[in-house]
Amino acid sequence: MNPDPDPQAAPAFLAPGFRLFEGGATFLPDALRAAAATLDPVATAWGSAILCPAGASVQRVLAGLLAAERQQLPLLLARGPVPDPASGLSGRLPAAPPPGPGLTVALSTSGTTGPARWIWHDWQRLCGRIRLTPPPACWLLTYEPASFAGLQVILTAALSGAGLVALPPQGPVSALCRILAAAGSSGDTADHPPITHSSGTPSFWRAVLISIPEQYRSGEEVGGLPALRHLTLGGEIADTPTLTRLAAAFPAAKIRHLYASTEAGALFAVSDGRAGFPASWLETGIDEVSLRIRNDILEVRSPRMMTASGECFGSGLNLEAEPSPSGPRLSADGWLITGDQVRQEGDRVLFRGRADSRVNIGGVKVWPEAVEAALLAVPGVAEAWVSVHTSPVTGHLLTAQVVPLPEQEPEALRQALRQALEPLPAAARPRRITVVAALPVTLSGKKQRS
Amino acid sequence: MQPPPLPATPVPLSLAAALALVVAETVTLLREKGEPVPEIAPEQVFLDGTFPFDSLDLATLIVTLEQKTGQDPFRSGLRQFRTVGELAALYATPHS
Repeated sequence: MNPDPDPQAAPAFLAPGFRLFEGGATFLPDALRAAAATLDPVATAWGSAILCPAGASVQRVLAGLLAAERQQLPLLLARGPVPDPASGLSGRLPAAPPPGPGLTVALSTSGTTGPARWIWHDWQRLCGRIRLTPPPACWLLTYEPASFAGLQVILTAALSGAGLVALPPQGPVSALCRILAAAGSSGDTADHPPITHSSGTPSFWRAVLISIPEQYRSGEEVGGLPALRHLTLGGEIADTPTLTRLAAAFPAAKIRHLYASTEAGALFAVSDGRAGFPASWLETGIDEVSLRIRNDILEVRSPRMMTASGECFGSGLNLEAEPSPSGPRLSADGWLITGDQVRQEGDRVLFRGRADSRVNIGGVKVWPEAVEAALLAVPGVAEAWVSVHTSPVTGHLLTAQVVPLPEQEPEALRQALRQALEPLPAAARPRRITVVAALPVTLSGKKQRS
Repeated sequence: MQPPPLPATPVPLSLAAALALVVAETVTLLREKGEPVPEIAPEQVFLDGTFPFDSLDLATLIVTLEQKTGQDPFRSGLRQFRTVGELAALYATPHS
């Protein structure tokens, strides 16, 4: 059994057997090191740093990590829905990194509620929960590379010398179908080894269940998904029907779902095939994490939460490390108030959703008010509001209705609305915007036509 | 923030009518995205990588279908469907 990565070491973290399969190309460690050697630092107010621009590929992120390690500089991983080639940054630069040994990485949020914010992670925080998966393991990456969840998968594969197949974050399931179709049609060998490990949101897995044809789930081993041995769900509430259907579709896989809070980070994993977590953990805790319920909200306490200076880092398996605008909330006795509503039902504690208005759309955390504000800011709009729907596919979904000013030309307005939504993450952009003559009245219980 | 508009009273739909509705709403979504609209057969797979549809489009389609038919075949969770025809079949029988 291989030792787990040493959290104190600044590693040469690309183990020899590592292979990256991305965009139809294969990258070996030497090629990645060569790419890293071409990266020059950027200047910030507090010193030099290596920068990966928004929308960076896995290849680019790995080159950035290697360059930062070699040049002993911090790494900035920018995010955002629209890559900005000029500055590569979707917001202001972060403040200076905290002192400490080893590689430090700043991850940027996508800024649904304002300018992008940055969160620093040190090597301990990046790798503290990683368990090595030696070859013949091959990981399927479904998350955006410059996210904490994405980095967890990338670093696990890199440290283990395993394979890593990267899907584009826009339309990962469609890309997966194309990869599987290409593997199937090229005979009995694929470009990459059989995929054995994968982590994705429940929405991703539901889309996989909808789309992946039967023969890739219960037949050929090479290049397809049936070799899946470890299947992880994270970033959204995992419901029991999805877990049950995944167990039926991937009978050889160990399935677990992760719970992470924005401020406390990755807290625990559940592997018993049921949603929520065992109520007994309220008594015993799990994995050094204490849990309790106050006012129907889950509160947690974990030694991983706080740094020595008492600062709370967001370090979890979140697709969007998006702290709430008011910051982390602590109870009087020092427990973190997660803001997640829970309900105990018998031997189980189940997640019901957020206490605030934040919704989770396919793993992306969105504040509907921010979307509404973007629409209201468009000239020509008299009134706008955003409706939240539950969705069996993505958990939640936004649609919007807009009342135009008199004399406003509808097609020009649609264009303007689309442009106003462009800076937001794809999941936060309502796909359906209905232009209506007036606000539908719903309080009196009158039925509405859509 | 307003609650979403309430759906219409559930209306029984024949399979042909449900299929026509699913195709019509899929076409509307594609047009709103600015995508070219191909011929949509009942065998068309939504998320197969060749059709210009992703999970968010599919989620929006399902919300629209609920609003138009008053039916929610997914109220107990996601049910299996891959194609346009299979989704239409879920709306073809009235649910109480």
